[in-house]
Amino acid sequence: MKLERRLTQPRWLPIAVPVGSLVVAFAIMGVILVLTGRSAWETYWKIVEAGFTGNGALSATLISATPILFTGLAAAAAFRMQLFNIGAEGQLYLGAIGASWIALQLGDRDVTSTPVFVVAMCVAAAVLGAFWALIPGVLRAFARTNEIITSLMLNYVAGLLLTYLIFDSASYWRDTSTLQARSFPQGKPIPEASNWPTFGSSVIVPLGFLIGILAALGLWVLYSRMRFGFEVGVMADSPRAARYAGMRTRRKILAVMALSGAIAGIGGASQIGDFTYTLDGSPTGLQAAAFGYTGIVVAALARYNPVAVCLVAVLIGGLLNAGYTLQGPDFPSGLVGVMQGIILFCALGGELLLRYRLRITRLWPNKPVVEAPS
Amino acid sequence: MTGISKRFPGVVANDGVSFEAAPGEVHALLGENGAGKTTLSNILTGLYRPDEGEIELYGESVRFQSPRDALDAGICMVHQHFRLVEPFSVAENVVLGDHRGEGRRFVLRTSATEQRVDELSQRYGLAVNPKAKIWQLSIGEQQRVEILKALYRDARILILDEPTAVLTPQEAEMLFVTLRSMFDEGKTVIFISHKLHEVKAVADRVTVLRGGRTVATVDAGPSTPRSLAALMVGREVDIHRGRMRESAPGEEIVLAVEGVTVPDDRGGNALRDVSLEIRSGEILGVAGVAGNGQRELAEAISGMRAHSTGTVRVGGDRLRPGDPRAAIAARVAHVQEDRLGTGLAPSLSIARNTAFKTYRSPPASRGPFLMLRNMAAAARSLISTYDVKAPGPETPARNLSGGNLQKLVLGREFQGDPRVLVVAQPTRGLDVGAIESVHAYIGGAADRGVAVLLISEDLEEILGLADRVIVLYEGSVAGEVDATSATVAELGFLMAGGKSE
Amino acid sequence: MSVNDSLIVIVLAQAVLYGTPLLYAALGELLAERSGVLNLGVEGMMLFGAAIGFWITQRVEGSTSVVLFLAVLAAAIAGAAMAAIHAFLVITLRANQIVSGLALTIFAGGLGLSAYVGTELGLADLPATHQFGDLDVLGLGDLPAVGPVLFDQSALVYASWGLTLLVALYLGRTRWGLNVRAVGEAPASADAMGINVTLYRYVHVLVGGAFAGVAGACYSLSITAGWTSGDTLVGGAGWIAIALVIFAFWRAELCLVGAYLFGALSALPFALQAREVDVTPEFLYALPYVMTIVVLVIVSTGLSKRRLGAPAALGVPYVREER
Repeated sequence: MKLERRLTQPRWLPIAVPVGSLVVAFAIMGVILVLTGRSAWETYWKIVEAGFTGNGALSATLISATPILFTGLAAAAAFRMQLFNIGAEGQLYLGAIGASWIALQLGDRDVTSTPVFVVAMCVAAAVLGAFWALIPGVLRAFARTNEIITSLMLNYVAGLLLTYLIFDSASYWRDTSTLQARSFPQGKPIPEASNWPTFGSSVIVPLGFLIGILAALGLWVLYSRMRFGFEVGVMADSPRAARYAGMRTRRKILAVMALSGAIAGIGGASQIGDFTYTLDGSPTGLQAAAFGYTGIVVAALARYNPVAVCLVAVLIGGLLNAGYTLQGPDFPSGLVGVMQGIILFCALGGELLLRYRLRITRLWPNKPVVEAPS
Repeated sequence: MTGISKRFPGVVANDGVSFEAAPGEVHALLGENGAGKTTLSNILTGLYRPDEGEIELYGESVRFQSPRDALDAGICMVHQHFRLVEPFSVAENVVLGDHRGEGRRFVLRTSATEQRVDELSQRYGLAVNPKAKIWQLSIGEQQRVEILKALYRDARILILDEPTAVLTPQEAEMLFVTLRSMFDEGKTVIFISHKLHEVKAVADRVTVLRGGRTVATVDAGPSTPRSLAALMVGREVDIHRGRMRESAPGEEIVLAVEGVTVPDDRGGNALRDVSLEIRSGEILGVAGVAGNGQRELAEAISGMRAHSTGTVRVGGDRLRPGDPRAAIAARVAHVQEDRLGTGLAPSLSIARNTAFKTYRSPPASRGPFLMLRNMAAAARSLISTYDVKAPGPETPARNLSGGNLQKLVLGREFQGDPRVLVVAQPTRGLDVGAIESVHAYIGGAADRGVAVLLISEDLEEILGLADRVIVLYEGSVAGEVDATSATVAELGFLMAGGKSE
Repeated sequence: MSVNDSLIVIVLAQAVLYGTPLLYAALGELLAERSGVLNLGVEGMMLFGAAIGFWITQRVEGSTSVVLFLAVLAAAIAGAAMAAIHAFLVITLRANQIVSGLALTIFAGGLGLSAYVGTELGLADLPATHQFGDLDVLGLGDLPAVGPVLFDQSALVYASWGLTLLVALYLGRTRWGLNVRAVGEAPASADAMGINVTLYRYVHVLVGGAFAGVAGACYSLSITAGWTSGDTLVGGAGWIAIALVIFAFWRAELCLVGAYLFGALSALPFALQAREVDVTPEFLYALPYVMTIVVLVIVSTGLSKRRLGAPAALGVPYVREER
């Protein structure tokens, strides 16, 4: 058996391989379920029901899908340029901090227009998220420091910042109005007018999800139809060729990191405006949700295509939602992570088939020994 | 080796090759680039496994599953691109992977190894400091480490792949002396080259490969460079190519480089206070052994590398150092040595690759938006004008052969109507037909008034195309000669550091 | 240790306690990275190892030493098993190492396999039947200052010291160590010299996983002596360990120093608060991360890369073109 690099790629391959790997993943999981004494079909059906078809399931799924849509887009935007920004987690926190700050500030000034709040929160979140991503970005662009570790470290710093703001300080964000709030630290609730609207009645679509779709479309256009994307493509494939063509790589690194961080930041704004209505600094809140890391999984499964990210985010959101809903003796916690992991493993493995072809040849054919000329 | 065949996707590298060597012999493998010499030797050293054929060593049939088997059998190779670990010392590199004798010890005995390396280097005249780290050594010294690796393992067969490509003529002489002392000991040396005079100077027998097949095995003594060349190329060839164009430089000085010092990648300077001028319609050849500053000169002119002193002027206007965009705006075209590495993005389509210089303005783009159809059309026209063999504009660049890549890059550069053309190693690795086309394009450009800087290791090519030739040695211009009257010997002398009178 | 011990002693002793799992995990990741493979799944491997180790103590009968030994062994095997998935994906299938490592963390981590196994086996809230206690070595545990720190630690701690020494000697002084360093720096050269790149990478990634498993066991068998679901058991130590390897310039001795430094920084806030010194704990907790960034910047600028340690081929799959 040997692996040969492919020269051409048949059209159907980029679709067949991800679908095929999903099928394999579900098969493997089915085996695991059966081995632990559960019915695979039943479990899958329950997941579909809890995630998508059941009463109110889709709305709940969209709640789970929205943040990972943003972090997935953030990861896709960066990874397309071989910039491995795994700091979307921290960038989202910073976005949340910024969005809640501006919401509270505007509320103090008696602003009542919801559109104003929404725009302000998104802008503030984008700015802070971009800033947080620019730290590893600057280090990468000017000191050639590996952005993987720097962005990862900053996730932790961001988390600690969040904890600090709510738990260990009398910061602006902290609610000190009631005795209860003073004893059990929590964030100030944002004004009612700044709560983001939702759309639809049978399926409730959060505004954040729609913003995310828009961002996905924008990202798609940027990367496939604009000069920006052309340059990113060249830089990702051959940095030397990019320099040769006069492309400004350093600027592009900063731009892409900022873009990635901004998108993740808006995800944080959505968390505040759509769902929590307050800055949740507790260790069981934002910080436990792992939106950033899940976003990377989403982006990887979507092969970094912004439109596919939307779809995958909903699918994974459904899986996560089903996990929360079904938690119990019949549906052990941990199944969600296991399933995500297996899907991703299979997708990674399938990736190989896209670039290489499997050939079965006999290496040393059984030919009779030929007398060497003396 | 008998009946060896090896196929890669898209190309047959070896097709039923047979070749044999005797103990105590220096056997040369001669052939043009792409004839299959390196592939064959990679098979012999266990890096590749042949699709067909047998190898016999001292009468016994052998099968190599990996490089380790070949090393154990006493076959060592000095590759063109060294297989060294840069942060390690010489001694560490020599002993790496050795699992016999001294190497069998689990715990390393550094000083004992260093001593043995010292002994070997004295004995064979390969002076090198065993404690030095590889990144501190010069290319010539690094090659000595590679040879020491083989000697340390008591190699019976030593394969050298284009060893003199990175050496000055003097260092090459020293190498030949070392080799002679080796075959006095009964070792076999297999010498891969495409340089006729070397092969004639050093080998006992020569096997000529062409297009992946064995053409002939002859004794070196009675052969002449001309007969060998004929075998290599397949027809009687006039190896002195002679002048390929009429010299007709104009008056205007298009490119002026003054007092330029250019840093290298290791913290020193690749070029020191270099000056040159090229007029319109003139071709200035740059000769010199690889590594004497040629690449950095090309990069300084095209803006890929910032020069620390001096100026580069095109048509009188000073170019900002280290700014490729300024060079592009001044219509400086640069065709690089490694086409697929620097000039092109391998995974991207031909259409995108050809748009490198043009994508910032119409018709390739409108505002910030790309006009993909226009880009594809431009690519198609380029493909037909320059006779690039490719299925279409969406084909990834990496699928093209060397000759077609070169034509593609040249075509792209010419599209920008350049005033200055810097071209490095334009015909390396190309087949004869492609070489002729490329020479025609370069000559044609000069005829149209382009100022051409031609960097090449092929002295015949330089003498055939250029009007004047300068030689770079250790970062300075060692001398300048008129191409029509100069000889290869003169150039060789300058390349080795001799000073012109 | 009494409450009258000086602040320094307490902090140092705590540093050793909390630093030990960091050390194990860092040494493991060090070996993997030296062979050129980045494994971001440390957190997941630690959690899984913790669960399996704890399970063994609950299920196996026997004397404490034997049970604990088996538990640690099982944790090591568990970690290696997880690492094997990553190894297969990135070495044989040449997948992206970052994504694969993250996938492993999700798969094996607090919401994944370790939680699954833990709840299936009912490990939560069980009292610890066996745990590592402090060994009073040679009776010197009562020496002032030095005593509690050096002589009154558990077997896991002393084993970690031995392991650090072994890894340092292995990398620096043995033939195999030279080979693996070559594999991480220049796999093509190592391959041409007859070294089996694939084998070395597999072995080192698996051993790295084993160490991570033991690191996890440090929590469930010693520090917390119990098992809880989710990430809180290990609390991000896996990520710190990854940072630690860089902070230590990929050298085993420095891993030890760094592990205790980071351990001290996490113990310091509590100790200071007990003394009623007002300090923002988050600031101290953040220090290790910030310091790692600083170190990384130093390592990456210019030529220092060559001499200060990042294996040149780290993160890049090795392909011997067209075998």
